[in-house]
Amino acid sequence: MTLFLQAVADGLQMGLLYALVAVGLAIIWGLMEMINFAHGEFMMLGMFGAWGLSVSLGWDPLISMVPLAVIMYGAGVLVYRLLMRRVQRGEIFTQIFATVGLLFFVQNGVVALFTSDYRFIEGSLLTRLSGANLTLGDIRIGVPLLVGGLIALAVFLALYLLIDRTDFGLALQATSEDRDAAMLVGIRPERMYAVAWGLGTALVAVAGVILANFFAVYPQAGLSFTVLAYAIVALGGFGSILGTLMAALLVGVVQSVTAAYLAPAFKDAFVFASYILIGLFRPQGLFGRF
Amino acid sequence: MALLYPIPFERSGYVYYETVGFLVLLNAMLGIGWNVIGGWAGQFDFGPNIFFAIGAYTAALLFIHLGWTAWLGLLGAVVVSVVICAALTYPITRLRGHYFAIATVAMWMIAQPIGATWELINGSRGLFIPVAAGNGFVHGMLTMEFAGRGKGLGFYYLALLLFAATLLGARVVERSKWGFYFRAVRDDQEGAEGIGIDSRLCKVVARCLMAAVFAAGGVLYGFWALAVFPDQVLEVNWNVLPMMAVVVGGLGRLWGPVLGAVILIPISQLMTATLGAGPLAGRGIDLIIYGAVIMLIAGGRPNGLLSLPWARWAARLRGRGPAQPAGG
Repeated sequence: MTLFLQAVADGLQMGLLYALVAVGLAIIWGLMEMINFAHGEFMMLGMFGAWGLSVSLGWDPLISMVPLAVIMYGAGVLVYRLLMRRVQRGEIFTQIFATVGLLFFVQNGVVALFTSDYRFIEGSLLTRLSGANLTLGDIRIGVPLLVGGLIALAVFLALYLLIDRTDFGLALQATSEDRDAAMLVGIRPERMYAVAWGLGTALVAVAGVILANFFAVYPQAGLSFTVLAYAIVALGGFGSILGTLMAALLVGVVQSVTAAYLAPAFKDAFVFASYILIGLFRPQGLFGRF
Repeated sequence: MALLYPIPFERSGYVYYETVGFLVLLNAMLGIGWNVIGGWAGQFDFGPNIFFAIGAYTAALLFIHLGWTAWLGLLGAVVVSVVICAALTYPITRLRGHYFAIATVAMWMIAQPIGATWELINGSRGLFIPVAAGNGFVHGMLTMEFAGRGKGLGFYYLALLLFAATLLGARVVERSKWGFYFRAVRDDQEGAEGIGIDSRLCKVVARCLMAAVFAAGGVLYGFWALAVFPDQVLEVNWNVLPMMAVVVGGLGRLWGPVLGAVILIPISQLMTATLGAGPLAGRGIDLIIYGAVIMLIAGGRPNGLLSLPWARWAARLRGRGPAQPAGG
């Protein structure tokens, strides 16, 4: 029983970080229905940004998170303005193609600059706390992952309030539901898409900054997270920010329970199998509205 | 013209260009297969490579354990992958749009650890295909067993054969009642169901046609590489390249994937050969440029290159041709 509870606790913490990786995609893909295969590359850029600022200026990732979020917001807006705005006029499949090109470009650009070596952030606040544990009964909870998870939760809640409770969020939703009708009431769709790309990119970069405390920083770091993020958004249901959080927690728990009881090699396979199983009963995802 | 293409290179000893031709034809063929589900039936399938893997493994197992030759194995592989595809696809046709797409990714993700651990197919070590060496060109064409010189050319023609068969098959399907059903389901699923089309059956049939093509491609690739292992046949490129060929050429157009493969594969191969070596080797410069080219095509021509007004240009050229001598 302790093993099980421990696995659930570990899974929930990982799930919070997955939620932060996935929520950017929940905006770009889930809400605005645009496909972005380069999602993980923005996360990787966030990781490299955190590593670079830590090595060169000695900034802790918890500080560099803020300027990096601002820079990556700009990068996301730029990607939309220069590339995706044109691509959007074609078939939706073209978005796959364009963002695969972006993936090649960004990933190999980083390879060219920094090589494919693994890098680690040393001496940051969270890595120095790595020995610290909280004990709840028999369950041990590592402090660094807990702090990371709580930051993720805070960002997540702020975003949920922004999307679901403000006029701006309503405008975003209106744009995705009916572009022409949104224009009629004075919303400028291209600006909304640009903001969505900026927000999505900034959020996943922040996720990368936090993850850089726990995982190796290297140019190919994004892919496995991207695939999981897509499954999480679909599992949560389209257009539901809260659904993404729930799905991410579920994915974290399924992974760690599988790894604890069955085979660690199959932990992602079980996540995807549960996606298919749940999909058979709820084709619109757990909290999807359409 | 395409038939004769490799012979000059064969004479001058550039086996390399035969490999490029082989990969162009293979990816064009896979693209035509993907176009059936992606272009006509309008369903996102991000994980078609599981059928590529099933095809390659089935033929390899039949060859190693039962001594079936490659062409028999190809038939077996197509049957096996179509049956598996039908069984896997029917349940997930309950899912629509993006949800369906992620279900196909999910199958690919589940296939990876199975491929890496299943003892029957030797886990991540894979299977090696021991072919008999040097029995001449005709024997090679009949068995897909080539060794040494002539292998490049032989596989080029094998790929051409399968490619031509796929193109012909796709043309037949495009004009058959199924072709119209697929497009009806893509354009308006409720409307199609209203006139009595079983949309779930259509999606299953479309994906099974794709699976058959991918299985055949997998067999060809397995005998070309002389080995089948999970990291190679379940590689992401077998998903992305055929899909990209379709999108570059023009989604839902019969010749779209062919044009796309003819453009994309040589660019990537030649850039790997030129920029992948030398002082900047391993720094991914070739892939940076490749990515930039892809973004330029996508941003410049979001509906595919076949959407350009080729017919009008051709007509203008034809119109100008005879007019010029009269004017000059």
